[in-house]
Amino acid sequence: MSAFTDADLAAIAAVLDAAVPGSVDAGALDYVERLLGALDHDPPHLWAAPGEWAGDGQQWLAIGPWERQAWAQRIGQWRDVYRRVAAGEADDSDHRVVHVHACEATYGDPAYGGNRDGAGWQRIEFPEPLFPPARSTR
Amino acid sequence: MNDCDVIVVGSGPGGATAAEVLTAAGLSVVVVEKGRNHLVSLEAPYEPLQHFSNDEIAQRRHLLGPDPLLEPRTYRRGPHDGDRLMIGEVNNLPSTVGGGGVHADAKLPRWREEDFHLHSSRGPIEGAEVADWPLQYEDLEPHYGAVEQLFGVAGEDGTNPFAAWRSSPFPMSPGDDMPMALVSAAAAERAGMHPYRAPTGVNSRPYDGRAACVDCGFCGGYGCPVHAKGDPIAALQRALRTGRCRIIAESYVTELVLDPAGRRSTGVRYLDLSQHPEPPTRELRAGTAVVLAGGAFETPRLLLRNGLGGDLVGRFLTCHHQTFTLGIFEQPTGGERGRSVTHLHDDLVVDSPELRAAAGAAGLPWLRGGVVEHGAGTGPVEEATTYPTGRQHLESMASSGLRRHTWVFTMQGEDLPQWSNRVDLDPSVRDAWGLPAGRVTYAPHAHDLAASAYAAPLHEAVMQDAGATVAFSATSPPQGDPTAHAELNPLGMAPASRHVMGTARMGTDPAVSVVSPEQRLWDVDNVVVCDSSVFVTSAGYNPTLTLAALAHRAASLLAGSQPLSDRDVR
Repeated sequence: MSAFTDADLAAIAAVLDAAVPGSVDAGALDYVERLLGALDHDPPHLWAAPGEWAGDGQQWLAIGPWERQAWAQRIGQWRDVYRRVAAGEADDSDHRVVHVHACEATYGDPAYGGNRDGAGWQRIEFPEPLFPPARSTR
Repeated sequence: MNDCDVIVVGSGPGGATAAEVLTAAGLSVVVVEKGRNHLVSLEAPYEPLQHFSNDEIAQRRHLLGPDPLLEPRTYRRGPHDGDRLMIGEVNNLPSTVGGGGVHADAKLPRWREEDFHLHSSRGPIEGAEVADWPLQYEDLEPHYGAVEQLFGVAGEDGTNPFAAWRSSPFPMSPGDDMPMALVSAAAAERAGMHPYRAPTGVNSRPYDGRAACVDCGFCGGYGCPVHAKGDPIAALQRALRTGRCRIIAESYVTELVLDPAGRRSTGVRYLDLSQHPEPPTRELRAGTAVVLAGGAFETPRLLLRNGLGGDLVGRFLTCHHQTFTLGIFEQPTGGERGRSVTHLHDDLVVDSPELRAAAGAAGLPWLRGGVVEHGAGTGPVEEATTYPTGRQHLESMASSGLRRHTWVFTMQGEDLPQWSNRVDLDPSVRDAWGLPAGRVTYAPHAHDLAASAYAAPLHEAVMQDAGATVAFSATSPPQGDPTAHAELNPLGMAPASRHVMGTARMGTDPAVSVVSPEQRLWDVDNVVVCDSSVFVTSAGYNPTLTLAALAHRAASLLAGSQPLSDRDVR
């Protein structure tokens, strides 16, 4: 999200929070930032691995070259979405993308940067997943 | 120089079962899988990989494939929709080593005797191509027993009064019941139904070297973190451990290679998807046969690209007309833990005066519904995306009408085979490798809609008797204006069912079938189809055990081997 100014980030945060109130406190900006930068890492930060629980300490699963191509396309489209959101030019389709990301950030696995300390799950009384136990934000 | 005796295209339940049977009989096998491998180490001793976790995000990010940007599918209800109504996910099954078995929650019921001779027992229905199968339940029964043993099916005899006869016991008893399933089952019993504990390919005890299930709650839609689901890792491991099986992942079969006369296949050509951006085409040669097990969507797509199988390839697509009845309860239903579904009832599959009356009222000679699953709601992210945005979102999530307080009856309604329902090649949409995308043309028959209309109020009443404050029903594919379902319906506008069947029908007459009773292509007889493409009718039961039993039978015939029950599985 380094391509965004503080003003852009504030605008994006406002739209995320409007979609799912509390999502920014849950880490939605961090979630979006990590998502848009997922391919900057090797392996990409797209699929969290079970980690220590699985015995090998692997944190992220490798992806294939064609999956990388698809994700580059998808993330490129989402970068455009967030540019429009920041510019106040988002349409209904863009708002739908933001809504989905806000939901994922609030109620998804903390490994991806959202759902800080599992607060989203606690609020809806969703039990801590068993495999792996207690995966926190990486 | 041949690379092996048999090439198996696809590593899901059908391909894995065929590979197990063939290698056990001493044949060498190469399994070619389009997707990536998250399931099992391909190095001895072939231990399970540890890639799966209770992670809704990874699931939503296509961990199990296929990625719809690489492999789009298209859908239309009929020619009146033009070339297509939408592009995206249609009837998607995983594209990964293990195929559809990886994501399924592994309900593995046998079909009933009548399911194999529906035309004889019930008669024709106008507008549908109801036909008898070229084999009967008794032909398949030993193979049902064999694959139950291979996958490790947990179930109990004697509790389903409508179950077909069986010659062997379940390998293990059922796992723990989901508490809410006991409540809904009791209500179903009060309504005169006969619920029973679902036969499930999930270990209730350590079995065949794999762990027992601990009911983590991430079953349907997810790979199993502890590999308590036996389908199909058990079969793949056994094949690999013979030393006569090799699995090549990320390999997309594009062509069946034929001999000069065009009557036998000598192998396949495939794109090596480990290479990018120009995947090389490689060739494998088989001395004996090629087994097609890519599923009832990809198998006809391959045959159509190659001009094989005749004019019926792709036709008579069935995928179960699904009717969901949701009950909303004041108390939490506890669906976060358990195996997604632990109870079923079959009452709407069997003939009854009530169903006959409903058929008559709809102007139909007979009516069959399908097996009904008693199950939990969705995951929290999926639930969250369903609710409207804004301030009410928090309240919706807190009250959790679609997850924490939800219980669902899912009827896998038998959809009748129709000439117009089919998989074919989209005229202009291409996949990432330039090959025509598969297109589904599908609309339910009046029978399917009538069965759904009969079942919905019945199940809503059962839900209310179970304590639901609200009960309502929906279907997939949805009814009404499809554009209303394009964005907000979590199931989408296309059929969401993963039970894809019937696109390379088996029969005794080449004029009305694609494969023989031995599941061999009529026009290239060493190509054996070992997936649900060969189904003649859809039965209204989960298809996996039946397609695996058929694969077991066809592979046994190919190899001249004995059923697995004669071999060693604990």
